Amino acid sequence: MKAFFSIFRLEFASLVRSFTLPLLAGAAVAWMFAVPQVITGDGTLDGAREVYLRYGLGGVFALTLVSLLASASGSFARERSEKRLQLTLVRPVRYQLLFLAKCAALTTAGAIVLALACLASLSVPGENAERVCYHVLRPSLPSPREEARAMYDAYMKDPDTPEEVKKASRSTVMRLLEFRAVDHYQTISTNMVAVWRIDFSSVGKEPLSAEKGVPPAVRLRLSNMQDLREDVAGYLAIGSLRASVSNQTQAVLTFPLSPSSSASESNRNDVLSFTNLGDKPLMLRPRKDVALLVPAGVYAFNLFRAWCELVSMLALILSFGLFLSSALGRPVALFSAIVILAVSEASPSVVSQYPDELETKLSDRIALTVTRFMAEVTRPVSSLNPLERLSLDECVEAREVCRVALMNIFLLPLVFAFISSFVLPRKQDEA
Amino acid sequence: MDNQNIITLDNVRKTFRDFWLRPTVAAVDGLTISVRKGEVFGLLGPNGSGKSTTIKMILGLLSPSAGEVKLFGLSPRSIEARRRLGYLPELSYLHPFLTASETLRYYAGLCGLSRKEAASRTKELLEMVGLSDVASRSVGGFSKGMARRVALAASLIGRPELLILDEPTSGLDPISTKEVKTLVKALAAGGMTVLMTSHLLADAQDVCDRVTIVNHGKAVAEGEVSRLETSLEEFFLAKVGDVKDFRLAPFLGVSEKIR
Repeated sequence: MKAFFSIFRLEFASLVRSFTLPLLAGAAVAWMFAVPQVITGDGTLDGAREVYLRYGLGGVFALTLVSLLASASGSFARERSEKRLQLTLVRPVRYQLLFLAKCAALTTAGAIVLALACLASLSVPGENAERVCYHVLRPSLPSPREEARAMYDAYMKDPDTPEEVKKASRSTVMRLLEFRAVDHYQTISTNMVAVWRIDFSSVGKEPLSAEKGVPPAVRLRLSNMQDLREDVAGYLAIGSLRASVSNQTQAVLTFPLSPSSSASESNRNDVLSFTNLGDKPLMLRPRKDVALLVPAGVYAFNLFRAWCELVSMLALILSFGLFLSSALGRPVALFSAIVILAVSEASPSVVSQYPDELETKLSDRIALTVTRFMAEVTRPVSSLNPLERLSLDECVEAREVCRVALMNIFLLPLVFAFISSFVLPRKQDEA
Repeated sequence: MDNQNIITLDNVRKTFRDFWLRPTVAAVDGLTISVRKGEVFGLLGPNGSGKSTTIKMILGLLSPSAGEVKLFGLSPRSIEARRRLGYLPELSYLHPFLTASETLRYYAGLCGLSRKEAASRTKELLEMVGLSDVASRSVGGFSKGMARRVALAASLIGRPELLILDEPTSGLDPISTKEVKTLVKALAAGGMTVLMTSHLLADAQDVCDRVTIVNHGKAVAEGEVSRLETSLEEFFLAKVGDVKDFRLAPFLGVSEKIR
């Protein structure tokens, strides 16, 4: 471990003495104070807050990521070209340790910059450290894959199913049905009651109690497929809590639940119901449009969890940059890292917009296959969106933070370190 | 002297290849060398003869295309072999933002020395190479000779059993050169094995017990320096070519007489 700390100190000292870290930290703090003046929201306090978090912390994250990725993807390559690496490789140091120490130093630098930006965000008016955030609990439904599996036979026998779909492979059709299942609409007729079971296993005791005077709530997205707003009337109920629903203006509304004497005794604590008292049937996608919001502590702790998640994303990307640097020259490693990063950002939306492989052109099918593969392998990073959750007052779940930290800070960098330990000495053959 | 071999090269070949894996240069071609414990061994040869490639294979920085390299009877890439090794490269390659003292402490850490041991060893070595006064100055601002001394101290920080010196006197003034030669002799007298390369044949003659002369990747001569009947320079030129091979003279109009 002495070697680990020696390399860690050297790498960290290099970031400090080359002014990379001080400049980055200064720019991050300055940006956090400048954002409210530079970018304006929609005029509401919540809008301003969302803009501040997304563009402020998001901007700092992007800046930190690009700067440190440039350092990471040049690290081994620069030392190799300057012949300094050979002096380390002939010492009694495990090559994996060399990789991990460099990765740890770069990640620590990034973590410091992000921590300063987060602290700066707390000092800006409107960012209330005591503001309550929520666990977001969706109705417990079969997974889209299970639903697709159940639909498959009936769909293939349906005479309305296009012939070209029937000719497609099972995996292609399953993917198509999975996408449909996510957007599956449920129709609630007038005077009818829709019920959804809620799984509270991820939340602590007494999930339906208020916290700091803030009660649980239900968030509904009241738009239809054409994105026209529905005219809705009715009420929501869970256990002894109830909320009246009435909307003619907004697409997404949050209804605070309050104790009600008229609540039925038979209402279960884990079943959320909606009674439609409007004139028209209402269509909702339970997986997307219905969410029970349960108070989950204050913003400051949520910010800390979001910081942990951002650091874990940073660690994984930097370790990938270092890995590229161990195998490639500096410009090629940097270019590859940035291209892969851009593709990983874009691929989920490409995949969601082109969900099936029913394209007739071979080139389209190849491009989609590659994009889908990229989306899959970069999921550990692209699936995380802590800043969006922070801005929506949604809890960044501690369990998820632990999972991604284990995966992104330890396991995946360890895999990269292991592969690099084979590449590093062999790469000297070309140096 | 114990005849135990510290370094063994057995019919080693190294062929560099291009991107398409086609052979480009055969840098080392069937080299067999053994360096015994406690001796100062000189690896001599003209530019491009394969000395540096050989050193890199001994250090585990390059893998041989054929043949076998052993260091203390182990693979050069094994941690145990690297623990017993010190290396001074041809150029110093120091981290310019570190001070002399930090540089030595960094390498002490890599060798697994404790903080206390690293501090005392750093102090001792800086005194030995005469850089105690500038211990807290960044090595980026050092002259070539000063940087060379720091690199030499860094190569000795882990108390190695084998010291590999690539052109150790390169860039040093005559006084420093003499000091380095004295140091090498003292280290060898203390039981350390030294493998060195040098273009300065007089230096090699002063410190080496045994030499191997390589040319075009092959060993063309090997022997003990004390048994040479001529100077090492004359012996070297006899083995790898003489002044007639110096082709610049006719271009400069130098007469045959001068040559």
